[in-house]
Amino acid sequence: MSFTSITAKLNEEFRKRVFVFIGIIFISFMVLIIQVFRLQVVYGEEYKLKAKINMEDYVPIISSRGEMYDRNFSLTSENNHVIASNRPSFNLTLIRAKFEDDSELEKCLFNLSRIIDINYTEVFNDIKSKNKWEHCIIKEDVPFEKIVNIASHQHLYPHIKWEDVPVRVYNYSEMFSHVVGYIGSINKDEYNEYKNKGYKYYHKLGKYGLEKQYDALLRGVDGNVRRIVDVKNRTEGEEIGKEPVAGNNLVLTIDYNIQKAAYEALQDYVGTVIVMRADTGEIISLASNPGFNPNVIIAKNNDQVFQELQNDKNKPFLNRAIQTRYPPASTFKLVTAIAALEEGKWNPNTLNYCPGYYILKGFVDTVKQCYKGTAHGVINMYQAIGESCNVYFYNVGYKIGPTPIMKYAEYFGLNEKTGIDLPGEVTGFVPSQKWKRRIFGQSWYDGDTVNLAIGQGFISVTPVEMASFVSGIANNGVIYKPYLIKEIRSQDNMQIIQEQKREKIKEIPLSGMTLNTVKTGMRMSVTSGTSVRLNYLKVPIAGKTGSAQTRSSRKDESTQHAWFVGFAPYSDIINEKYVVAVLIERGVAGAATAVPVAEKMFYTMQSMGYFDDEKQQHQ
Amino acid sequence: MKNSSISKFDIKLLIAVIIVVSFGILTIYSAGFDPIDKLNTGMYKRQIMWFVIGFIMMIGVSIVDYKFIGEFAPYIYAINLFILILTTFFAPVIRGSRAWIDFGLFSIQPSEFMKLSTVILLAKYIEFRERDLHNFRELFIPAIIILFPVLFIILQSDFGTAMIFVPILFAMLFIGGADISHIVSILSIAFITFVIPLTLLYAEDLGRVSVISDFFNKGMDVFIVAGFFLFVATLFYLLHVFFIKKMFRYIYMPSFVFSLGLIFAPIVKRLLQGYQKNRILAFLKPDQYPHDLGYNVIQSKIAIGSGGLIGKGLLKGTQTQLGFLPETTSDFIFSVISEEWGFIGVFILLMVLFFIIFRSMKTALDSADKFGSLLATGITCVYFFHILINVGITVGLIPVTGIPLVFVSYGGSNMMMSMIGLGLLMSIQTKKSGF
Repeated sequence: MSFTSITAKLNEEFRKRVFVFIGIIFISFMVLIIQVFRLQVVYGEEYKLKAKINMEDYVPIISSRGEMYDRNFSLTSENNHVIASNRPSFNLTLIRAKFEDDSELEKCLFNLSRIIDINYTEVFNDIKSKNKWEHCIIKEDVPFEKIVNIASHQHLYPHIKWEDVPVRVYNYSEMFSHVVGYIGSINKDEYNEYKNKGYKYYHKLGKYGLEKQYDALLRGVDGNVRRIVDVKNRTEGEEIGKEPVAGNNLVLTIDYNIQKAAYEALQDYVGTVIVMRADTGEIISLASNPGFNPNVIIAKNNDQVFQELQNDKNKPFLNRAIQTRYPPASTFKLVTAIAALEEGKWNPNTLNYCPGYYILKGFVDTVKQCYKGTAHGVINMYQAIGESCNVYFYNVGYKIGPTPIMKYAEYFGLNEKTGIDLPGEVTGFVPSQKWKRRIFGQSWYDGDTVNLAIGQGFISVTPVEMASFVSGIANNGVIYKPYLIKEIRSQDNMQIIQEQKREKIKEIPLSGMTLNTVKTGMRMSVTSGTSVRLNYLKVPIAGKTGSAQTRSSRKDESTQHAWFVGFAPYSDIINEKYVVAVLIERGVAGAATAVPVAEKMFYTMQSMGYFDDEKQQHQ
Repeated sequence: MKNSSISKFDIKLLIAVIIVVSFGILTIYSAGFDPIDKLNTGMYKRQIMWFVIGFIMMIGVSIVDYKFIGEFAPYIYAINLFILILTTFFAPVIRGSRAWIDFGLFSIQPSEFMKLSTVILLAKYIEFRERDLHNFRELFIPAIIILFPVLFIILQSDFGTAMIFVPILFAMLFIGGADISHIVSILSIAFITFVIPLTLLYAEDLGRVSVISDFFNKGMDVFIVAGFFLFVATLFYLLHVFFIKKMFRYIYMPSFVFSLGLIFAPIVKRLLQGYQKNRILAFLKPDQYPHDLGYNVIQSKIAIGSGGLIGKGLLKGTQTQLGFLPETTSDFIFSVISEEWGFIGVFILLMVLFFIIFRSMKTALDSADKFGSLLATGITCVYFFHILINVGITVGLIPVTGIPLVFVSYGGSNMMMSMIGLGLLMSIQTKKSGF
């Protein structure tokens, strides 16, 4: 092989390989172009959306939460009772990057520290530790005068901004605590539960009472400011993206004056008062004592106060009207009477002799004392209700047996929720023979029956159930669902959006004779029986007292719970009747403790004109 | 004589380069603009300056006879390597690597010039050993020529720059006439060594631990199998030496490749565990590392993709202007162009770049001598692999490392290196009649 032929061969090979290499280059470029085409043309829209998400930041404008008024709200009145409202409050903020340098920031904070209560070195270090472009809060809830001062001396406080962050105010603190409740920051569990309903981590959420029940109505819809931001969260421009929609105002069924009376009447006791309009279910007053100050609950750094309230042995967070079960005691005699009469097993005029005690025949005879331990003599059913004779009702119970009593207790809903629009309602408990066998492995004894007949033993009810039951008597068998919201109004122009209508939930067919007997007995309780203290009031009242002994320590007098349930006016003509239910824990006896509280309620209602219609009818 | 040589100079190539550089300067202007402060970093002005300096250097180099430069190839290489080593050990750390010599007003990156120096020496060596290059042992010297720069540039923590030497070497050996079976063997070993561990790491990350994983992870099984193949390879190699039967090559070469691959694969796999493993997984599944390792490529793809067909317009790229895209003037400048000029702009850019590569390669074909051809090939490879890797990274086809886009990215050293390369190409074009 000659030298030149080798060279020629190598040259030929070289040219071949150059063409192969150009081919490889060409394919590489094709691959790059195809990939760019894929990204830009095939998936272009997808990436455009991602770029948009990158640069857009929506700053929420939190909607104004609806306010709450009492039932006397009037558009024209100047003196409406605002139960829950919002107070404007200002947070001072700054963005560190806006300052020339740290010394300017430090000087500015130092100037601020002379007019507002801040530790400027602490705040300075805190701000320094954060991202330069972060929106830092220097101080929360700065008074308006201070804001004015800062605004008018911008040279002293450069780059200091303020944001309007309304604070919830409960104007009557404890008085409405259990009804209105309070709001708080959303916690992790709540966030997971509600995030699909549009709740965000920065939202406040109703935690208790009506604030919780009607949170969706009260909170409105957030608006937002659309910002174009860069990677450091700097803003290029901003505009209103969506206007916020204010939450609705609520007008409660509660009357401030009656609520105040109830709250004051309860001051010395642990207990609850419910006032309800029988023919609609409107709750005129619902008070539970002790209460709590919701303004303290929602304040910052209140963990200790919150803990103390939670550990208080009187449990101020408990709404005793709906969340506690008590033995109904003598107030339950009304159920026993209705059961006996409706089943046709007893005549109201049947006379029984009360010697002051009752002997239950059995393997070993049991002696039970009558109320107060004194003899009532020979009495009929009217008198037995009026004077709350245990012996008479022992006899009734013994005669008719437990089943009708249980049946009527259930008819009146004493084992179910009334459906009042407050969260956390519990149900009462009506025992049954089957239940006793299952739990205690024992059959139902006569002793259980006679205990049940006077509302002792296994049975327990909530005060609101009891109020609901009494409204059933007052309404001749019809029960309306208790409710707390009278009107929903718009926050902007206060126009009515929705007016709550009464809702009939039960209609128990009761004979005229039954109703007459029970009502007359209740009336006699006021005219000559255990509630006689109410007799001096102009409005005719019908009522029933009770002194409940708790099962666990029945010998201990101080564990008696005092009951009063009743309604007024006692009239066949007037439909507009009001039920008052009072329960005092560890009260001496119904007549001694609960009746004076009821008296204050009826007295206040009377002086507020609640029974005026009744007066007109009599004139 | 002089007139005729100037007429051979490729004016179209120069125009193409000027177009691409202008594209780059415009993009650096756009990327340097801060829409919030309404200020520009002014980097584009420096880039114009670098281009002017580069242009002067290009003319200077184009006048010099490339054969003359070839004579000094070992010295150029040695001096450049010496400066590179000094930089590696004594330069201050700038942006995480010791790659720059700081002159106050500007800084110089010796590793950029090392690319050209290495290519010149490789071209010279391959020309010198052209007739023997089909021998496997002739490949060791070229390997050592790139080994030094690669080693010290890795020590500078500049992995991307170091890696670019490898494909350049292979391409030059291929063009230079190395035996294809050798190149294929080496590439196959590399393939086995890297692809098996990567595949396994990926599978293991997904929770799929298979028998194959165990085979590579545990015990000596893999080395026993590798030893067996090594034995077979040796046996058939000896048979080949004694009987000189060409068919034995088809047995011992694959066996050898396979055994070396099996030896390296588990070692590489163990080396890749840890930080490198996350980098690789971040490349394969960037969406799982959106805030750290996957961030750059995710933002780059968003920038490119959101440019769409016609782009958002100059200064209007939100990814660029609002800072979501990192390294907008250097490593991810292609993403900026894609975002603001859209597919149409990118297509034009890539076509012009392809034209530059094509004309450079044509210089190699038209060269009067082998050294000129090989030098032109080397310079083409420098251009081509920068483009391929840089664009490949921004579109998410190649794992992220720092590589500039030649003629486009901001950077004085890279610009000067590219322009000197262009000067060399011109020298090759104009001197061919002198042969």
